[in-house]
Amino acid sequence: GLCVTRCPRQVVDHYENPRNVGSLDRNAKNVGTGLVGAPACGDVMKLQVEVDENGKIVDARFKTFGCGSAIASSSLATEWVKGKTVDEALKIKNTDIAKELCLPPVKLHCSMLAEDAIKAALADYKLKQDPGREESAKA
Amino acid sequence: AGVPQDPRVLDSMLPYLTAYYGNPHSRTHAYGWESEAAMEKARRQVADLIGADSREIIFTSGATESNNMAIKGVARFYKSRKKHIITTQTEHKCVLDSCRSLEGEGFQVTYLPVKRNGLIDLKELEAALQPDTSLVSVMTVNNEIGVKQPVHDIGEICRAHKVFFHTDAAQAIGKIPMDVNNMKIDLMSISGHKIYGPKGVGAIYVRRRPRVRLEPLQSGGGQERGLRSGTVPTPLAVGLGAACEVAQQEMEYDHKRISQLAERLVTKIMSEVPDVVMNGDREHRYPGCINLSFAYVEGESLLMALKDVALSSGSACTSASLEPSYVLRAIGTDEDLAHSSIRFGIGRFTTEEEVDYTVQKCIQHVKRLREMSPLWEMVQDGIDLKSIKWTQH
Repeated sequence: GLCVTRCPRQVVDHYENPRNVGSLDRNAKNVGTGLVGAPACGDVMKLQVEVDENGKIVDARFKTFGCGSAIASSSLATEWVKGKTVDEALKIKNTDIAKELCLPPVKLHCSMLAEDAIKAALADYKLKQDPGREESAKA
Repeated sequence: AGVPQDPRVLDSMLPYLTAYYGNPHSRTHAYGWESEAAMEKARRQVADLIGADSREIIFTSGATESNNMAIKGVARFYKSRKKHIITTQTEHKCVLDSCRSLEGEGFQVTYLPVKRNGLIDLKELEAALQPDTSLVSVMTVNNEIGVKQPVHDIGEICRAHKVFFHTDAAQAIGKIPMDVNNMKIDLMSISGHKIYGPKGVGAIYVRRRPRVRLEPLQSGGGQERGLRSGTVPTPLAVGLGAACEVAQQEMEYDHKRISQLAERLVTKIMSEVPDVVMNGDREHRYPGCINLSFAYVEGESLLMALKDVALSSGSACTSASLEPSYVLRAIGTDEDLAHSSIRFGIGRFTTEEEVDYTVQKCIQHVKRLREMSPLWEMVQDGIDLKSIKWTQH
């Protein structure tokens, strides 16, 4: 494939040296928490974002129950959301994650779940800013 | 997981890969006679391991072929009067798939469930027998969880009802004593590479008294009593025979050593790490095949840490359907625990150092992965995971 020199190590690298493992205070108003997946499917991701008063994501953390590709996808997701605004982060696509990590077809669902996790975290954050508004976060 | 070839087996094969290349079925010259003699010696070695007559041993390409032969061959031979087969839900894929293909031919198959410990219920087996049952197929030792079925009792029941009993003994022979007469076994599948022999060869035992007939899968020159045409690969057959003979010599010593190593592995892991479940009956098992579930840690992610050890996972992140092992499902393992399972294989060449290394890495990475696990975090916070409404993609 195209990413032969870089890619084989990508997933392993994120696995051995994951970025941003941990938790933020889910009760803080400027923290959004997304929990997606199901233990019965072998994939659960928790992704959290901390957003400043300008709407920029200043910190992100993740925890994942899943295979190496799932761990790498969520680890990469936390790297990518940092420094973006909420609206910019909503544009992150699973296909970009899969491409960056050179995920094989059988692992594409891991990148999809990571995209879901980002969206769920941001939806949670938005809901906290304006609780009156109906959010169809889980559409 | 692969299994190394015993060096004694390789030694026995070398002459037949180099100088002695005659076709064992060529009756008319000395090269053929040498090969034939070697092949017949190998046949006797296989037979001796299981208490059979050498005329009852047919060489095949492996246990998959032997299973196909046993199931399809017997079913088709007796199909005019008998259309029913019984097997279990935890058999190897080649047995299950053979049965499925027979269903497509109009046969009826009963897939017996297993109890939580992985063993079949003998009363259920007896109740499932019908007047038109031609075959019962139950594996001796399960390749995923290591449980050992009560083949002696199954043989009794089948003999009493005059139904043929086939057992896939790929994981059992050479490791635990097997005797086709004591156990009233009528057909048995044997794998070469599972007993430190070469890959690409196996055997099927087919009882002569009372005679078991089967329709051959492979047509041709009529070798192996017409049951399996094709030139027998002399070097591979010699290797299988040698592997059987070596296994017979080493069985007691291996079993004792492997039991100790298995005990060491399980005790060390379970004493250091909480929330670990052993899958399958603790007592009725072969010690060298251990299946453990590490709650809140996904199996494949743990395997990545143990990649220099030969292990496999019951998780199915690589399978298109995301469904975990059917064997674990059959014993009633919760799906999330099924995704958290790892199979450890301990064999003749496993050293204590390798076990300790595996244990150490396993403990280290389970702890690390639990720190990374949202499930572990929730459980530590006192949340009941079963109360959560999980999303699905």
